[in-house]
Amino acid sequence: MILANGTLLPDQRLAQVLDGLEEEINETLAHRALETETVVDACARLLARLENGELSSLLARYATPNMLEVLERYRPLLRRESLEYKLAVELGGWERTGPRPFGRSLTVPLGTLFHVTAGNLDGLPAFSALEGLLTGNVNLVKLPSGDPGLSLALMKRLTEEEPRLAPFLYAFDIPSQDAASLRKLAGLADGAVIWGGVEAVKTLRQLVPAGCRLIEWGHRLSFAYLSGRPAREELDALAAHIVQTGGLLCSSCQVVYLDTDDFDAAEAFCRTFLPVLERAAQTSRRTAGQTAQATLYAYETFLEKAVDTPQARVFRGRGCSLTLCPDEELELSPLYGNVLVKRLPQPQLLAALRRQKGQLQTAGLLCPPEDRENLTELLLRAGLTRVTSVGHMSAPFPGEAHDGMYPLRQYLRVADVEDVRA
Amino acid sequence: MKQKSLIAFYKFSVTATFMFSRQRLFWLSAPYDLPGSDARFLRAVRENCAYHIRRCPEYRTICQTLRFTPETLETMDDLAKLPVLPTLFLKRRAVFSMPEWRMAMRVTSSGTSGRFSRVGFDWGCIFAEIPMILRLGFYHGLVSPKPAHYVVLGYKPGKQDRMGVARTMFGLTHFAPPLSRTYALRWQGERYVPDLDGAVSGLEKLANARFPTRIVGFPSYLWFGLQQAEKMGLQARFPRGSKILLAGGWKQHYAQEVEKPRLYALAQRVLGIGEADIHELFGAVEHPIFYNTCKYHRFHVPAYARVLIRDVETLEPLPMGQTGLVNLISPLICATPVTSVMTDDLGRLTPGEDCGCGLRSPCLTILGRVGLPDITTCAAGAADLLGKGEAF
Repeated sequence: MILANGTLLPDQRLAQVLDGLEEEINETLAHRALETETVVDACARLLARLENGELSSLLARYATPNMLEVLERYRPLLRRESLEYKLAVELGGWERTGPRPFGRSLTVPLGTLFHVTAGNLDGLPAFSALEGLLTGNVNLVKLPSGDPGLSLALMKRLTEEEPRLAPFLYAFDIPSQDAASLRKLAGLADGAVIWGGVEAVKTLRQLVPAGCRLIEWGHRLSFAYLSGRPAREELDALAAHIVQTGGLLCSSCQVVYLDTDDFDAAEAFCRTFLPVLERAAQTSRRTAGQTAQATLYAYETFLEKAVDTPQARVFRGRGCSLTLCPDEELELSPLYGNVLVKRLPQPQLLAALRRQKGQLQTAGLLCPPEDRENLTELLLRAGLTRVTSVGHMSAPFPGEAHDGMYPLRQYLRVADVEDVRA
Repeated sequence: MKQKSLIAFYKFSVTATFMFSRQRLFWLSAPYDLPGSDARFLRAVRENCAYHIRRCPEYRTICQTLRFTPETLETMDDLAKLPVLPTLFLKRRAVFSMPEWRMAMRVTSSGTSGRFSRVGFDWGCIFAEIPMILRLGFYHGLVSPKPAHYVVLGYKPGKQDRMGVARTMFGLTHFAPPLSRTYALRWQGERYVPDLDGAVSGLEKLANARFPTRIVGFPSYLWFGLQQAEKMGLQARFPRGSKILLAGGWKQHYAQEVEKPRLYALAQRVLGIGEADIHELFGAVEHPIFYNTCKYHRFHVPAYARVLIRDVETLEPLPMGQTGLVNLISPLICATPVTSVMTDDLGRLTPGEDCGCGLRSPCLTILGRVGLPDITTCAAGAADLLGKGEAF
């Protein structure tokens, strides 16, 4: 399906829509401006409908239980106060137009944004588009393949809520292989917002013309760092985080690092943590299919390690597993409740993490209070952009930056205008 | 020199012995006699497994880790002890038990999320598959000397095409001598696009032909294709002997139970092809056994394979009737260690006697894919491709 100017069209109309797109966008840029307030209002009204149950039939149709959970988690961020707070934090002071010795400076929308979104978080395409709308841009969204339709439905509802948003919002269900259409969309954009893995980013860089601003939200790696003796409830929180996010998010814990060099101590930790993780798996998974997936990935990891790294020790639990590895590299875990455990004493921490610079995101830090400040500083020096408690690694914080940047600033440009006296 | 040829002869004779036990199984005359084939099956599996242990270092390591040796296999119950390779493992790495030059071909699975299994097929495997396919083809009334036209709801396999599905569909156009083949997917620029108009006008022409037509495709594509054809006003009556063969990977068969009767009724309405002439088939690249539906549209396990259902938490084998992960066992392939594989599907076995079709071997029902919070219908995939999803 295609969403164009508030209307849903079948994919067969793609060529036709693409052919007329440049003219439509130029028309919008020439004659319309989108006020931030209009977007915030529309979003607040849609949220109110969601909260009083008016959208339940739509959700019942498109949202899986997992999506509802995600929606529940992110809902507070869509409130009027949260959006206003986000705008204030990201653009406050920076955005203000000001007199300059030559005249004035002002921030204006970049123009047209081409969003290439990923499928690892439900609703992400709609969220990316919202950031583009808040900054007054025309948004062309490429939906991830196999998108269940929730994003498209929400975007459509948003344009119904506020028809003034319609000419600023387009979404396309184009497969990633359709390079010709993607190149066409990229050719119309002033900025390309790319979500996705290394391969996706590399491929899309080739499609984007020179001069188009690249804004990459590439895959990141996150981990937990445990120093000292962790309290039971903190381990519970870490286990819940691991199972609930399934390792699929940039902020999901991939490796549990232990501040020790002692293999026996690490083994002892695995024996303690495995039952905690098992319990979390049992309470948060609803279907046999989800358990089966975790078990399958755990078993596959066990076989992989047997073949590749016989020194690793796999602790297999019910619907989850821990793999104690001999090395200290930060890498992707086997996902779905199967996590890696590695030893990384503080003196080696910076060097090991620097090998993944550019990929680092969240560190869930669990340590004695007196060490927290120093360890946080060390992690930030290593290149992390978020340091949280272990239970909040994937929790959205109002006003937080994204991978070290404020996204809204990326979607604007600063323009200088000289005062010319007559 | 002499020693070298002696070693070669020894290797040949070991391989030959195994090939013999495999061929003895696949040339069986009763394709659904499980008890009658147990002894041959066990022996062939034991030798197939020993072959992979000798030739495939990764498989050998896994067997050593699990402390498994082929001698462990004494009774049919011991099949559960065979090291199981998840298809996920085969998607993450290519494992082979012979050099590529000795294989007849290499085939890839239709990958979801961009990953593919690579499976090698040896000549002995192909030699064993032929009698199996013919035997089951005759048994289920697929083989006919009368020539037929074919409409393939898929695409034409290219020379370098290693996609198992395209090959399977192409293979299915040989049970009756082919007069013509029409493909409903065309390569256009950079991807395959559906050519429904072409397929419908092709069908209209064929309905008036002298010879019967066989339509080959995924159930989901047939479902969408027929819906479109009905909208376009097609109401054909095909010559007697016309059939629909529904093939495809496992995932095309999810949650079909509800849709099946509707699909049969639609086929009757639009094409005039009755339920009895709709055959469903399935298999996987990692387990290319020719599963056919019986007259009640159920998949009974043929003598060339055994199926275990495993607990979703412990992977222990489950009793008949319970739902779990599907473990498929067959000694068919030498080139890749796929003696015992586990797909990412959930399924269930039920006693063959309960079916009522007369076959006594257990029925396998695929219920869904792991990880999905709920079972999606196969229609979703076709909707993506055809872009004909309903509006909100």
